[in-house]
Amino acid sequence: MNRNVRYYFDVITVLAQKDFKVRYRNSVLGFLWSLLNPLAYMVILWAVFSLLLRASIPNFAPWLLVGLLIWRFFSIGTSQGLMSILSNPSLVSKVYVSRYAIVLSNNLANFFGSALEFLVMLPLLVILGIDLKAYALLLPIILVLEFLLVFGLSLSLSSLNLKYRDFYQIWDIALQLGFFLSPIVYDANAIPVRYRFLYSLNPVTRLIESTRDLLIGGQFPSQFDDAIIVLSIGVFLILGFLIFRSLERDFALEL
Amino acid sequence: MTSPWSFRALSAITIENVWKQFRIPHERRPNLLDYVAGIFSGGKRYSYEEFWALKDINIKLERGESLGIIGPNGSGKSTLLKLIAGIMKPDKGKIEITTGSIASILELGIGFHGDLTVKENALIYGVIMGLPRREMRKRTESILDFAGLARFQDAKLKNLSSGMQIRLAFSIAIQVEADIFLVDEALAVGDIDFQEKCLAKFREFKQQTKSLVLVSHNMDLINGFCEKTLYLMNGEVRALGASREVTSQYVMDMKAKPTQ
Repeated sequence: MNRNVRYYFDVITVLAQKDFKVRYRNSVLGFLWSLLNPLAYMVILWAVFSLLLRASIPNFAPWLLVGLLIWRFFSIGTSQGLMSILSNPSLVSKVYVSRYAIVLSNNLANFFGSALEFLVMLPLLVILGIDLKAYALLLPIILVLEFLLVFGLSLSLSSLNLKYRDFYQIWDIALQLGFFLSPIVYDANAIPVRYRFLYSLNPVTRLIESTRDLLIGGQFPSQFDDAIIVLSIGVFLILGFLIFRSLERDFALEL
Repeated sequence: MTSPWSFRALSAITIENVWKQFRIPHERRPNLLDYVAGIFSGGKRYSYEEFWALKDINIKLERGESLGIIGPNGSGKSTLLKLIAGIMKPDKGKIEITTGSIASILELGIGFHGDLTVKENALIYGVIMGLPRREMRKRTESILDFAGLARFQDAKLKNLSSGMQIRLAFSIAIQVEADIFLVDEALAVGDIDFQEKCLAKFREFKQQTKSLVLVSHNMDLINGFCEKTLYLMNGEVRALGASREVTSQYVMDMKAKPTQ
């Protein structure tokens, strides 16, 4: 392997391992929390919506779980990505290491966390009565696409947050809003028809719908889903690289 | 051990017309609302003082030659070292590293993550400094021995004293197959035993025609290891030349100043 490629491979690997370890250090149950958390949410939301509000979505519990896992990767991935530069001052101002690698490895740690969550949850879907089809094998593609989306957003957010610490607060609220602007706890058909097109442009919505198609519906995601996802990844990656590149110069001065 | 770089280009570091500016805000405006408010309320514009931390620095360091950097606090020594290391970028001018790779030992310790163990932090630091992961695993034991920290390998880094942390950083950095070593005041923290070990390692580097760039207030150290010395004062070159002459000029300057 080329010397440079090997160097970056090693750096990203150790940094991703570090973020992964730090996330579960000092907790007794460690990675188990990653599974207990979405399960607890699933049970709470299932209880509220199916018992109290009498939602009538077939396979409601697994349907919720899939939406929650996709959302979880997006919200934790971007909010930790946002902090990735700020929370690693010594990587920025004491040694020289590519700052892209700092953000990338943080996102990678979350990508692996999320992949593990899905891996453990798949048998649970079967237990809950889902007949998994071969389409489920395409799930890694969805996760990679979501990872690219998270990376693009994290590049912008991490560099902007260094300049204006407000972005941490803004993004926190944006995520609260995003949770309800995505069809996690309700069906997208509940949205009034005239807003539906605007609503459908949300890439997280597309990711959730696609994953439900693959795992629960047993069918390919629609071309519309694919188009919106790929297009938004392109936009956010380009935007992310542009913003990050223009702010990176001053990183060591802002910390 | 012979260096594979022996036949490479002559100069190791070229610093040409380098300027570095810091902006010191008059009124801190760390959030967006304040910033926007500042734009609209005419008088209270976002203003800052432009402060040149380094002004027109020119140095050429040949292969195997070592450079000392001296000067009072705030004269730009550490900033220059950070520019050479690539941690900051100059506003004007350019810095070229023509020979191989650089290892930097800046400020105190590494402290990548206080909650991770000494061993885990060592791995991260070593890999970032350019040691392959597999190589680093093999060497961890000898590194911790050199640092005198073998007993503490599974302790959390945050429980180590600052002297121990710098010893760890130092022990890892000297394992790197670099051609240029940047050292910022690192020696000042270690105890005498450790300082002796480090000096021995510096002598070894000199024999292997590696370059050292030392920032220090210890004139004997500078005279002992560096052929050339740069004397900075308020970001400007006050003197650059043979170490003995430059260091004695610095000592005389400091004595002449009534309040120092």
